[in-house]
Amino acid sequence: MKHETKVGLLFLATFALIIGFAYFLSSYNPFSDANEVRLLFNFAGGIEEGSPVRAMGIKVGKVKSIEFDANRKDANGEEVKLVVTITIAKKAWDTVREDSRFFINLAGVIGEKYIEISPGSLDKSHLTPGGYYRGEDPPRIDQLLSQSYSLAGKILEMVENNEGDVVSIIKNIDNLVTNFNKAMEMLTKTGGSKNELGSLIKNLNQITGDIAHVSGKLRTKDADEAIALIHRLLWRLDDLDKKAIKKFFQEEGIKAKLF
Amino acid sequence: MKILAVAGDFTHLLVMSFRSMFSPPWRWKNKMAALYFVAVESLPVIIICVGFAAVVTIIEASYHMKIVIQSDALVPGFAAILILRELGSVISSLLLGSRVGAGWAAEVSSMKVTEQIDALKLLGISPIQYLVGPKLLACILGNIVLGVIANIACLFFAMLISVFKLGYTSGMFLTTMRVFVNFQDLLFAMIKSACFGATIPLIACFCGFRAKSGADGVGKATTDAVVGISVAIIFLDFILSYIFSHFYAS
Repeated sequence: MKHETKVGLLFLATFALIIGFAYFLSSYNPFSDANEVRLLFNFAGGIEEGSPVRAMGIKVGKVKSIEFDANRKDANGEEVKLVVTITIAKKAWDTVREDSRFFINLAGVIGEKYIEISPGSLDKSHLTPGGYYRGEDPPRIDQLLSQSYSLAGKILEMVENNEGDVVSIIKNIDNLVTNFNKAMEMLTKTGGSKNELGSLIKNLNQITGDIAHVSGKLRTKDADEAIALIHRLLWRLDDLDKKAIKKFFQEEGIKAKLF
Repeated sequence: MKILAVAGDFTHLLVMSFRSMFSPPWRWKNKMAALYFVAVESLPVIIICVGFAAVVTIIEASYHMKIVIQSDALVPGFAAILILRELGSVISSLLLGSRVGAGWAAEVSSMKVTEQIDALKLLGISPIQYLVGPKLLACILGNIVLGVIANIACLFFAMLISVFKLGYTSGMFLTTMRVFVNFQDLLFAMIKSACFGATIPLIACFCGFRAKSGADGVGKATTDAVVGISVAIIFLDFILSYIFSHFYAS
């Protein structure tokens, strides 16, 4: 074989290795079979370009690019500053619908960050390729820690400022619980009292039942008509001899059948 | 003053050599011969050496990780990144420098001693264009090719040793590797290889042109060339790694 041929073959092999390596790392794919979707986040929690995208735990794409957009707003008018473009393989495209949710998750022993897509409902429409969708911002551990630290500080300050009150409240609660325990013990010991208490509760139950029955009746149409009738009657009687009416009401009373 | 004169001579050689690469006469035959000598003939020795280097790296990394965190689960990932960012291109360049640089330094210095370079000048041929230009082009292109092949071979040997010695499957190795490695690592390795490749003929020919008369002069020029090439590669590696570190995500 000629020297030129060997050199040429070596260069070709190198070129093939570079392309193969890029394809293996998903940096270059001439046979791409995926759609792109843009996700909006305010906090992307460590996602990087090339991070995997999974639907129901299976890899279906990757994060293609991450861009900062100061003027971006989502469909609800909320300001979102990060636009993460992801690819979703066409084989999984059917399962991702408009009500699908996009989470940032953590996997594996090395803490690999990825975007998880929850499957959508069948009655919802498909996503629009190239469309913008709101992703779920992951919780910020630093923010939570800061808030809990501040809360703990405030509680501590409050306790320090009202130390006497707090001690007195705790003592009162302690006394209350002790007294309640004593009362319960006494009730348990005296069987008669227990029966009396039972009968009292029974009577109370009956009374409330009766009241409910009466108020139920008052809500009927007949009752409403009767009340309106009495109201009209009284209105007419107002201009008559007030003394006689007064006497009538006071001495005779009203004998009317309401129901 | 002597150091300044040497630096000035080297800068002149550097500029003239790069100019000669892009100006006629093209001398394709010389360039192809140099490329064959650099890339094809150096390939077996480089693959064997980087292969063993990869094996040693994996075994040592696994041993140390087991001591420190009682697990070698991350070895494929960071061994791969170490191979791509450092081992592959540096080891292949050092080997190429030893093999090719020594040969060219001896060739040029013996030409100098036997006054062949003066003869070239008398014939109106620029010694830099005739001797250094083809070697420079061949070494830059050849070392890029060798660097890529060395890196891939290194990763392949690392995978083999991980499968047969550490009990990984090839799938586990490749998956862990993909988490750490980016395509830009290979691009940076190619840039490094090109820079290292350029230093080899420049330093070899520079030492050859400055050779003193006699067999001793040839020997000293060859030794100086190999030492100079090795030091230059290590120093350039530091500079380039520092520059590239600004482009890495973490």
